Amino acid sequence: MSKRLLCPILLSCIIVMLLSGCGSAVPRGTLHVALPYSDNVQDADTNYYIGWLEDRTGLDLEITTVRQTRSTDYLDMLFSSDTDIDVILFGGDFTVSPETVEAYVRAGDIDDTDGVSWYANAGADAREGAGQILWINYEWLTGLGLAIPTTTEELEAVLCAFRDRDPNGNGLKDEIPLAGSMDAYVYSPVEFILNAFVYNDPIHSRYGLGDDADVLMASSDGFREGLAFCRRFYAEGLLDAHFADCSRSLLSELVNSPSDLVGAFTTGSISDVVYQGNPEIMARYVHVLPPEGPGGVRNALYSVQEPTVGAVITKRSTKKAEARKLLETMLSEEASLIARFGERGVDWDFSDGLDVSIYGGTSTVVTRNYIWNTSQNKHLNGIGPMNVPERYIGGVTWNGVNSDAEYIDGRAQMSYREFLPAADRFHERDEALSSYMDRAVADFVLGKRDIGSDREWEDYLKELSSY
Amino acid sequence: MGRLFKRTVILLSVLCLLCAGCGTAESGSRSGADMAADEEETPEALYRKALEEDVLIVYTVSTRVAPVKESFEKAYPGLSVEIRDLRSPNLIEEVEANDKNSVSSCDVVLCNDNSGDFKTRLVDTGIVVPYLPSDIAAHMKTGMTGEMVSFFNEAELLFYSSAKYEKCPIGNLWELTDPIYRGRVFMPNPLRSFSTWALCGASLDHADELREAYREYTGEDLAEDNGENAAEIFWRRLSENLVFTNSSDEVVEALSSGNADFGFCVSSKLRFRDIGYEIEPVWKLAPFTGCRTTYAVMMARNARNVHAAKLFIRYMLGETDGSGEGYKPFCTVGTWSARDDVPDGSPVPLDEIDLITPDQDRLIAGKKRIETFWTGIMKESTVTGK
Repeated sequence: MSKRLLCPILLSCIIVMLLSGCGSAVPRGTLHVALPYSDNVQDADTNYYIGWLEDRTGLDLEITTVRQTRSTDYLDMLFSSDTDIDVILFGGDFTVSPETVEAYVRAGDIDDTDGVSWYANAGADAREGAGQILWINYEWLTGLGLAIPTTTEELEAVLCAFRDRDPNGNGLKDEIPLAGSMDAYVYSPVEFILNAFVYNDPIHSRYGLGDDADVLMASSDGFREGLAFCRRFYAEGLLDAHFADCSRSLLSELVNSPSDLVGAFTTGSISDVVYQGNPEIMARYVHVLPPEGPGGVRNALYSVQEPTVGAVITKRSTKKAEARKLLETMLSEEASLIARFGERGVDWDFSDGLDVSIYGGTSTVVTRNYIWNTSQNKHLNGIGPMNVPERYIGGVTWNGVNSDAEYIDGRAQMSYREFLPAADRFHERDEALSSYMDRAVADFVLGKRDIGSDREWEDYLKELSSY
Repeated sequence: MGRLFKRTVILLSVLCLLCAGCGTAESGSRSGADMAADEEETPEALYRKALEEDVLIVYTVSTRVAPVKESFEKAYPGLSVEIRDLRSPNLIEEVEANDKNSVSSCDVVLCNDNSGDFKTRLVDTGIVVPYLPSDIAAHMKTGMTGEMVSFFNEAELLFYSSAKYEKCPIGNLWELTDPIYRGRVFMPNPLRSFSTWALCGASLDHADELREAYREYTGEDLAEDNGENAAEIFWRRLSENLVFTNSSDEVVEALSSGNADFGFCVSSKLRFRDIGYEIEPVWKLAPFTGCRTTYAVMMARNARNVHAAKLFIRYMLGETDGSGEGYKPFCTVGTWSARDDVPDGSPVPLDEIDLITPDQDRLIAGKKRIETFWTGIMKESTVTGK
């Protein structure tokens, strides 16, 4: 080989070697991310969305799984140690309020560069609609020859039949006519029933709406009448004796029991309680329109989904710019659609417009695999920041699966629409007042306080006015 | 014997042995299609063999399979059934996809067989095969068996809201096109609902009756232009009043709550009247109120759990005398029995209802025309935001 030919080859080799050396010498930034544990996220190391975020941002995400559910315990422990965490994600059972975040900002633990102390999670669910739906056991109704109740009186009669007539047919008195939990308002049948007596919005401290936004409904005679009705339900064994101590997960176990134990329950979404991939259980329950109370009141709880805290950046992070890049990427439309629906082309796709949305409008998204609230590894199941535009959340097309939770929810939402009050103004939530009222409601229903006693009611009103 | 001859004989012998071995292996794993032909097995024998199989997977368009699963599992301890409950077009896609695997994860298929898609894509291709034991076949009504086993009849039917009307306020189908019903007539998207597709498609063959009904209703002749026949003109005009839904469930929910005045949906939804839904069927209407539909139960040719599948089908068809628990969930009001020894679930005989009967071959032949027409309608409805 001539020297003339050899030289360019050698030169090329050197250049290639240098270039490849350069490639490996450029370090990818590594971000340490705290991710709350979720039954619905199989493996963060192989999660599709995390991989997509790494590709898109050029960052390596080192995930630390958070096992605690009390976020303040975790934050206190984290900030009192020298653990190297740049970003903390919130969601699922691991939540934090904006007020709590601000307290940590003031303590110098959470970053608030440019006034941004947290990144929002918005659009995991439909932004507005009925906040609480009653579901009833269809097979028990048909088995006993009963109609869906339309009034509180009929509801009571149906629940009595559930209690007394062995609808699951096992010869045991093991039926729970109306199950519930006080883990969240949506699981409490008491909150639902109160809406047949007065507009009851526990999310906004039981104030009214619109012109009544400053009227405390919890001090009205209707509210007292509703509490007395719920007390009777509890005393007669129609409402689960353990509902005040029942967690959401226990409620879920009861509803999903193969022994067919539960007659009715309330949720925001049926997938909050009924396991996905269980079509028999899904088929067992149908939604019930809000029953009409003795005074003709018939309300559905109007709910607007406010953005929640999706993530924060720690003050001690030495990679704040990279952390912001990650979180801003998560808020992009493309990322948010993955975060909500999974892998495009596999789990979902844009609609061709020939379908009807499950909420009755124009379709925008077709879900091929409904993976929300299931054990999957495509996204973080609502954990972390996201911003799914309403047109996609409201425009989801049915995937044809009869037991699809989103479809079942959508039908319930459409049916509840006419019972939603016109809402142009809410009262701001008052935590102390709400906390007091929540305790009082439980006490009256459980019989720790006597709802029939005028003196005890006066005491309650007096305490209420002190807030 | 020469060396070459000896070698040839040895080679041929080895080949024969290999082939025989292959044959043995093949017959040891008979396909669902082979097994479907073997119709004389008793439930007891099937049960014994089914106990050695895996979880039975049933693809269905009917939620009524859920109680069948429950009673089947009680009747046959040790057997488990998994239900995949899908809308017809999605079911066909899934079953087709499954068939591409040598061993399918689909054993039994229950589907509306009216659009022609089920026939052309699953039956004609042999992806699903009929299984009908002779003791049950003896009790099937004429026309319910053949290349498909149709196990009950339904109708895609007009309903009205009894929450709003004490009796049906119309006597002629064209009255639905009156602007007073704008946004008050609900119907599943025909591009996604097989039974609605069957109604819309079959109506093309009844243009004369529709033309006559128009004359009765308006006293005038129907002006037909743009190459559309009376049926297409009817649907186009009705589309001004229509609210499209995903399924019949949404239709009956809207009727019962008073959000709709009329709705087309499958007649079996009439069973919701038992739990208080305020819906009433329209049995009589000029020129027709709906169309007949049937449901088929078939086995996947690559079924993994052949014996469990056969046992399940037997059970679902009501066993020898039709009294079995498995058929009962389908004998509800709004359905008509496929068996001559099981009474109809409905008080009105099928032939006393103003129904048209889809001609499946014509639906298959006219698929493009129907699809183009309804794609246009759906796109217009999207634009207008209905």
